[in-house]
Amino acid sequence: MIADVREAFQAAVTEALGREVEISEPVLLAGGASKEAWAVDADGEPLLVRRAAVGVIHRHTLSLAHEFEVLRAAFETGVKVPRPYGYVADLAGREAFVMERLEGETIGRRIVQKPELEAARGLLPAQLAEELAKVHAIPAERLPFLTAAAIERMVEELDEVDEPHPAIELGLWWLRENRPPARQPVVCHGDFRIGNVVVDEHGLVGLLDWEFAHLDDPVRDLSFGLVRAWRFGMDSRRLGGIGDVEPYLERYNELTGLEVRPEELDYWELAGNVAWAIGCLTQAQRHLSGLDRSVELAILGRLGSEVEYEICHLLERAAA
Amino acid sequence: MSERPTAQELTEAIQEFLGGEILPTLTDHRLRFRMLVAMNALGIVYRELAALPAEDDAEQRELARRIRAGDVPPGTLARVKADVEARLHIASPRYLERYG
Repeated sequence: MIADVREAFQAAVTEALGREVEISEPVLLAGGASKEAWAVDADGEPLLVRRAAVGVIHRHTLSLAHEFEVLRAAFETGVKVPRPYGYVADLAGREAFVMERLEGETIGRRIVQKPELEAARGLLPAQLAEELAKVHAIPAERLPFLTAAAIERMVEELDEVDEPHPAIELGLWWLRENRPPARQPVVCHGDFRIGNVVVDEHGLVGLLDWEFAHLDDPVRDLSFGLVRAWRFGMDSRRLGGIGDVEPYLERYNELTGLEVRPEELDYWELAGNVAWAIGCLTQAQRHLSGLDRSVELAILGRLGSEVEYEICHLLERAAA
Repeated sequence: MSERPTAQELTEAIQEFLGGEILPTLTDHRLRFRMLVAMNALGIVYRELAALPAEDDAEQRELARRIRAGDVPPGTLARVKADVEARLHIASPRYLERYG
């Protein structure tokens, strides 16, 4: 690593922790287009530095500063998240924040498949429900910058892509025609699924990736993890490829008193598929527009057809 | 029916990946040479695809427009599903096996 950047990390970690520390060589774990994740140890303590990458942030994602605020609010209200240490306005030219680095598995496919995590998978449905119930109890006033989402926003994104996708249109049409009574909006994680949680042999370690936090119907948040694409191949386990929905729903209802019905989950599962189908298109557009040339982004434009097929499948079931 | 990225655009993305991220890491001369040959072959595929007439998506646009306007007669879902299935045969043929 270039000396200046190393020094910048040193300064940032010192600032965030509020004390002089000796840091290890920072290691880039994941260089997503809009965010970087660096692993660094401070006097042996495992930390993660989340730093803005070059390029435009996705629309509708929080700024790094706001994401950090959400993380802090979640931590303070007792949600299992990495301990937040501090926000740094300038780490070698870009915003960053420092938090605890949680130990455990984050890769969806491994969480779903690893034999060592079989017992953990059994615990996850109730644990996921418990954490989500806590998230939904975060007072909205605590995070005044959060905005409300609406199905109309998805339609706008689709229109910007400017391609014909009748399956997505059919999904949107059905969602409009079959809306359940609206629930009071709450603070939502916004991307609550396997892939954004840390799991070890004891089960859930913590929730990650708060950049999509917003205000919304709680059932939308509750259902997003049911989307088939996020079952990582274990299609028969409707809850994120790790378990059944019933214990998850039951525990959530027990804790919140919201009496969410299975039909509401069905509705919002379809909505989650529509959102992800559109998400695949917007990801591909990042490549096609030249913003972020990447074959992984490009191919999502084609793999979106899988999600469209699932939309058709769910629509058939709904009509039956 | 075409969608984005087109086959041509996919080829371009692959060329950029191989040339930009893989080639620079190759130290073995023979492997470097063969990579350049492969990239050359991709260039041929790219130019052949570029020479094909552009696909016409007017029918899909009309269908999407009608559905958006709320015009969804019986049979629409079956038609749409068949179209998606046809795309999947190209994009991800094994995906269909996941549906009992």
